[in-house]
Amino acid sequence: MSIDEFSAYGYFFLTLLLVVGLYAYIYHLYKKKKDATGVDYENYSNMALNDDIGDTPVKPVSDEKKK
Amino acid sequence: MFHWLEKHPFFFAVGVFVVIAFAGLIEIVPNFAQASRPVIGTKPYTTLELAGRQVYIKNSCNACHSQLIRPFKAETDRYGHYSLSGEYAYDRPFLWGSKRTGPDLHRVGNYRTTEWHENHMMDPAAIVQGSIMPAYPWMFTNKADIDTAFAEQLTDQQFFGVPYNKPVPMKDGTTQTVKLAKSVAEAHADALAEAKEVASKMKNQDVKDAVARGEIPEIVALIAYLNSLK
Amino acid sequence: MENRPLEYDYTVAKMFMVTTIVLGIVGMSIGVFIAFELAFPGLNTIFGQGIAEYTNFSRLRPLHTDAVAFGFTLSGIFATWYYVGQRVLKVSMAESKFLMLIGKLHFWLYVLGVAAAVVTLFMGYSTSKEYAEFEWPIDIAIVVVWVLWGVSIFGLIGIRREKSLYISVWYYIATFLGVAMLYLFNNMEVPTMLATSAAGETGIGSWLHSVSMYAGTNDALVQWWYGHNAVAFVFTVPIVAMIYYFLPKESGQAIYSYKLSLLSFWGLMFVYLWAGGHHLLYSTVPDWMQTMGSIFSVVLILPSWGSAINMLLTMKGEWQQVAASPLIKFMVLGSTFYMFSTLEGPIQAIKSVNAIAHFTDWIVGHVHDGTLGWVGFMIIAALYHMAPRVFKRELYSKSLMAAQFWIQTLGIVLYFTSMWIAGITQGMMWRAHDEFGNLAYSFMDTVDVLHPYYALRGTGGLLYLIGFFMFAYNIYKTMSARPVEESELQNASPMGA
Ligand code: HEC
Ligand code: HEM
Repeated sequence: MSIDEFSAYGYFFLTLLLVVGLYAYIYHLYKKKKDATGVDYENYSNMALNDDIGDTPVKPVSDEKKK
Repeated sequence: MFHWLEKHPFFFAVGVFVVIAFAGLIEIVPNFAQASRPVIGTKPYTTLELAGRQVYIKNSCNACHSQLIRPFKAETDRYGHYSLSGEYAYDRPFLWGSKRTGPDLHRVGNYRTTEWHENHMMDPAAIVQGSIMPAYPWMFTNKADIDTAFAEQLTDQQFFGVPYNKPVPMKDGTTQTVKLAKSVAEAHADALAEAKEVASKMKNQDVKDAVARGEIPEIVALIAYLNSLK
Repeated sequence: MENRPLEYDYTVAKMFMVTTIVLGIVGMSIGVFIAFELAFPGLNTIFGQGIAEYTNFSRLRPLHTDAVAFGFTLSGIFATWYYVGQRVLKVSMAESKFLMLIGKLHFWLYVLGVAAAVVTLFMGYSTSKEYAEFEWPIDIAIVVVWVLWGVSIFGLIGIRREKSLYISVWYYIATFLGVAMLYLFNNMEVPTMLATSAAGETGIGSWLHSVSMYAGTNDALVQWWYGHNAVAFVFTVPIVAMIYYFLPKESGQAIYSYKLSLLSFWGLMFVYLWAGGHHLLYSTVPDWMQTMGSIFSVVLILPSWGSAINMLLTMKGEWQQVAASPLIKFMVLGSTFYMFSTLEGPIQAIKSVNAIAHFTDWIVGHVHDGTLGWVGFMIIAALYHMAPRVFKRELYSKSLMAAQFWIQTLGIVLYFTSMWIAGITQGMMWRAHDEFGNLAYSFMDTVDVLHPYYALRGTGGLLYLIGFFMFAYNIYKTMSARPVEESELQNASPMGA
């Protein structure tokens, strides 16, 4: 196998992998709706809307430490 | 699987980096060895030509001129044989350009002469009516930087193995050797000898006088470079 | 720690806002000047023969591209980072003396680097590689500036209160990593002073000069791998970071779909990976594989468009806001231009289209509908949003802002329409043959025909520049406008008449 072919196959299968991975991720996002810590993905939008320093974080860092 | 990755951002980052690096590798590395082999007839630049190349870069001629003839009939009709990868083997940096405000220059040495360049660089619009190329009169007085050109040759030889002082094959089966001077003084002397040859075909008296005094104006170096583009 | 009232500290953000505006003016003024030089070559010597060496088109063009990319755009990226970063991580720079110091150091070294770059480019020290023209000492300075920015990003993330990283932060991180990798690889060079002659002399010639580590075709490959991706990571990724924060914040609308934003992030990253790979498409591999490769490429582009669609949908049902607020107009038109130029790019990459478009003004037109419409508008909008909050004053004038929007939009339209026509005309004329198979036009024919388009482009650019001056004036006057209460700053920015 020439180096050209090698890179072509590499390119091909990498793209294939990325497509499968990406679409699996899309499926996952819409199936599970919540991330590993149980927060609905959509709630994360509030990080921009409620961003005063006094606002309660969507998921405070200290939460994690208590567990 | 995705939940696991969300909890382990480190592995996630590693995965992403591997993918990115792999993509970069397969995209550019394989061409490297193949593209760097010089074609027959391509030889390293002389000190004067290299000084001219630096003048070309200093004034960003590549902002308006490409040096890449594509394999289309319209281009080969206009500029000559299409460019081959190996012809650029000694070009550091490459000067393909990205915009053709002016014509391609990759083979300009085949159809323009020293005299023509001399007049054209002084005032393009006087030679080619309606030209929008800037005039470069200061090149007739600024001195070419032979020291730096010599240093570049040395770097090419010592770091990248460019074959100076070694016979390189020519198209007609003979070989030619491009000399690399032993010292700065010798480099100057060699460059001046070459400059005298170019200046002998020029008309501008100031340039001729300067070369006679042992100085090398930028224009002489630039023309030597342009003439080498074939 | 939470006992005394804490505030976000915008010192560094303010500094970068200043350089954004100043370098924007510098870069765009040069742009307008060189645009007119192409239309009226007499301008090359308008400042006198004596300094024409420094004011002609070819010396100034790299100054334009670098001043707008590494001056205006980068400053804008830094300014918004030092603003957005604190807010979405809910941590103030005032909480860490170290990060504050890094931030200031970052700024001053950056200014120093810019000054050195401007001086050396004026003098003609250049490596000639587009967007990487700087010689090696400046490259090193740039790396240091970049590392400082990295310290600032990850330092702030390290002391955050918000556990998850907001999508904008992802984009800033991607910018940081992407540019770092690209810049390092493309600027590999050996300073010529390291070489020794046979007679033992060293340090010969200019100490600034260097030789590229790659030669010819390889150099070109690396440069365009860099060039293509630098555009992605400087003109796209960080600008998306901005719009994901500023549009929802200014309009008070949650992002239409946060999930879509996550997957379009990966979509975008992947798209840029394969985008450089199209040169493999005509090599010796089986046909079916090439076809499949192209299909996948199209499949991948859909998620990457997600961002722009997401932003437009965020405004769903809120179109009265677009009509009412010039600030939101900037952002909505910006996302539209983004979609537009990401569609145009792939079209130009199609082999048969590229045969005509390459080397012509069409490419220049494409670059500028992206940079003026998307990059420029987003940075302008971001600064307009930040100004009332960092100065605690209302924006000086809404009507001036609206006038600026329309003037600049007209400028962009003039710019890209003229360059499209110019580019396609030029491309077609170069390849035209007459009935005997000879070239139909001399090169000069194709130069002459462009004159009106060049003049029109210059005019478009001038309008955009005038708008930019209005922007600078508006921000300047904001500093002494009516002070505002904290409560007025929740969403829509307060504006004077
Ligand atoms: C503003 C863009 C511009 C810049 C910068 C520029 N040129 Fe030109 N050049 C042109 C145009 C347009 C033409 C065609 C008209 C003419 O011949 O003058 C041209 C023509 C030429 C030609 C003649 C080519 C031929 O096939 O007839 C040469 C040689 C040349 N340029 C060399 C240079 C050099 C060397 C520099 C840098 C010092 C340079 N040019 C900078 C625009 C430019
Ligand atoms: C004020 C309006 C502007 C004008 C009039 C202008 C004008 C120009 C001109 C005349 C060129 C050279 C084109 C050529 O060689 O034919 C150019 C190139 C370029 N400009 Fe601008 N410019 C403007 C704003 C900007 C902005 C804001 C950006 C980026 C944020 C930008 C980025 C670029 C880039 C990347 C190139 C190189 C294009 C290429 O190589 O294809 N410009 N511009």
